[in-house]
Amino acid sequence: MAAAAAVLSTSPAPSASVSNAPEQGSDTLKAAIFQRLHPRVYLERFLAEDVRPDGRALGTGIEGGEGVWRDVSINVGSISTADGSALVRMGGTTIVCGVKAEIAEPDLERPDEGFLVPNVDLPAMCHPKFKPGPPSDEAQVLSERLFETLISSNFIKPQSLIIHPGRAAWTLYVDATCINYDGNVFDATLLAMITALMNTKLPKATYNEDTNQTTCYHQPKTLLTTNGLPLSISFGIFDSTRVLADPTAFEEPLLDSTISIVVGEREGRSAGSGSGDVELLSVVQQGLGAVSGARQDSADDVLSACISAGKKRRLELARIVREAVGADSVEV
Amino acid sequence: MAHSNFDRRRVNGPEESFLPVFAPEESSDKWKLGQPRSNRGLSDIRPIFLQPGLISQANGSAYIETEQTKIACAIYGPRQSKNTAYSENGRLNVEVKFAPFSCRRRRAPLRDAEDRTIAMAIHQAIVSSVRLELLPKSTIDVFITVIEADGIESAIASASVAVSTALADAGIEILGLVVSCSASIVGKEIWLDPNEDEIASSQGTIILSCIPALGTVTSVWQNGRMSSTEAADAMEACQDRCTDIHGIVAQALREYSGQ
Amino acid sequence: MSLLLPGQPIPIPRGPAPQLGVGTYSRDNQVRSSILGIPKFEGTTLSVPRVRPHPPSPNSVVLGTVTRLSPVQALISISIVDGVPLPAGEEFTGVIRTQDVRATEKDRVKIGDCFRGGDVVRGLVISLGDARSYFITTARNDLGVIFATSEAGATLEPVSWQEMRCPKTGKIEKRKCAKPEGL
Repeated sequence: MAAAAAVLSTSPAPSASVSNAPEQGSDTLKAAIFQRLHPRVYLERFLAEDVRPDGRALGTGIEGGEGVWRDVSINVGSISTADGSALVRMGGTTIVCGVKAEIAEPDLERPDEGFLVPNVDLPAMCHPKFKPGPPSDEAQVLSERLFETLISSNFIKPQSLIIHPGRAAWTLYVDATCINYDGNVFDATLLAMITALMNTKLPKATYNEDTNQTTCYHQPKTLLTTNGLPLSISFGIFDSTRVLADPTAFEEPLLDSTISIVVGEREGRSAGSGSGDVELLSVVQQGLGAVSGARQDSADDVLSACISAGKKRRLELARIVREAVGADSVEV
Repeated sequence: MAHSNFDRRRVNGPEESFLPVFAPEESSDKWKLGQPRSNRGLSDIRPIFLQPGLISQANGSAYIETEQTKIACAIYGPRQSKNTAYSENGRLNVEVKFAPFSCRRRRAPLRDAEDRTIAMAIHQAIVSSVRLELLPKSTIDVFITVIEADGIESAIASASVAVSTALADAGIEILGLVVSCSASIVGKEIWLDPNEDEIASSQGTIILSCIPALGTVTSVWQNGRMSSTEAADAMEACQDRCTDIHGIVAQALREYSGQ
Repeated sequence: MSLLLPGQPIPIPRGPAPQLGVGTYSRDNQVRSSILGIPKFEGTTLSVPRVRPHPPSPNSVVLGTVTRLSPVQALISISIVDGVPLPAGEEFTGVIRTQDVRATEKDRVKIGDCFRGGDVVRGLVISLGDARSYFITTARNDLGVIFATSEAGATLEPVSWQEMRCPKTGKIEKRKCAKPEGL
């Protein structure tokens, strides 16, 4: 049945408010008006009660904190026109990513390497702030960061994409599109790209030096060799000291800064082995630091708490990724 | 850099890349022209999954899936029309985007002419159903992302259904729900809701959009060769099926409203 | 009555024909719904109401922020229409001209003594205006500035319909104030 296969509806169906009377939730409406006019004060009042507007708890979640993250669900391999695909929902944020494999001549300076070309699109569909046209500044910065992260983590070794040195190599176009933009798009997009790549199968390919042509065969197809499973975990800092893990689109513009931790696994260990082999790949802080001399938690403490919490959260995300990828393919 | 499709706003790949070329396979059990339709009857359409309201940032939205066709649609506005003269009537703006991985050949992320043509076809199917006279100075933006397409004609029909559902979700005043169905002439037969392979081997296609509640046709889009009898028969077959599709939209909206 | 789909006929009780309100239309002598919702009679008016963001129209009560001042008008970024917030980034532009600020002594209005940038104003739409803006009036007791920040950064308190006081410094600032609700 189509309903069972429906790609986008991996979470409970939303429901509309068609009730017609303004008295319906007039309190909800009043709250919405207040939120619209005074977003900062609205957020402050929630945080003063130690709760976020969507009901989550504050903090990094390191204190055994449940309920600082939004639910993550992943659906892989449902796009038949792509060689690999994944749909990620992180709370309201929805990203779909498809990998298309094409064949190109390697770069003259790197005859033994193929290409990885990640791009993310933030179309006008996903949020009112985006307009139709060329990529927004935000999309450009995001694509660049994703490229950096995928390349520097060595998740796909470019040498593994070579078909014939100097002649033919795979080019993997990793295109992600945001369907609904509700914050923390970097984490969600990286998650979608990583999962789509783990779902990607390449056909057997041989290069014929006489004809100068590459021929592919439908069988056997093999999964890409991946390394380290890098994932990003982001935290927002509000008012110097408040940590909002996995921030929403409403919270993001009000934040002083965002801290993103990219964590992978050390190479040479088998995928399922324990928890001790995590490797910190990058820490990026954008915006004002979490400096507050008056408070106990100094900047360093906030940052190190985020790093520890990020490492812990990554295990959970990695489990969700492996479960989703494994569910689609028996070879994994 | 002499890069024909280099774009400094994106991460660029090699200058040129090509689709893999596959060795011919010996025994292909793929459907070929001249064979009877596989998997479904001539007037069967693919099962429709329709879900309103998945895009929380939009004023209204809908997602539609018919096997390998997957389309998301969001409605923004009515927004104040910018950079336009004062107008008594609202405007309906339709934009279509194909995800780069949505078709067999990768669609490089530059808007091509086909996107415009498809947006126009959907606009034509929908525009006469919208009560634009109630929305002076305003624009309704309809943004469509094709996540996967299996036949352009059926993508247009599915997208039109999604747009109308999303407009209803957005609470925008419309005369009635628009539904749409495509057909192709294959040999002497009429096949409804053709997929990409079936369209490739057909002489002609037709897309009919209508408002079943009012018994009104809003758009007919015909391509290729067909006799006027065939065209009339295809339209009638589409219209019959539109009644069923209307039922699916109605059920999706009722369930979504908790009724 | 039950949920109607757009285009669905609305059963009309016997008696005089109702007036058609929002969400309804008549075609070929049949009254139909034009939105997804539940029909409702208010007096003799039949409507299918729905709480959704919508553009301002004449007589809409709007809330918005003052974005620009000039000697002849104040520009307003409208964010709430008839009690329903518009999504962020979806504001409509309104303008309060000097003659629409207050009901009396219209020719002596100084815009700078009535509004400041960032003030939140409650106004009434008087017309669709021109291509750029909706025309808004504050010439009523309950209309005008409802929220403003003082030069010292505190929330101003209204003391009369044309003055507000800073609770921090006690300084008086001039505004065209709306009469606070519940007074």
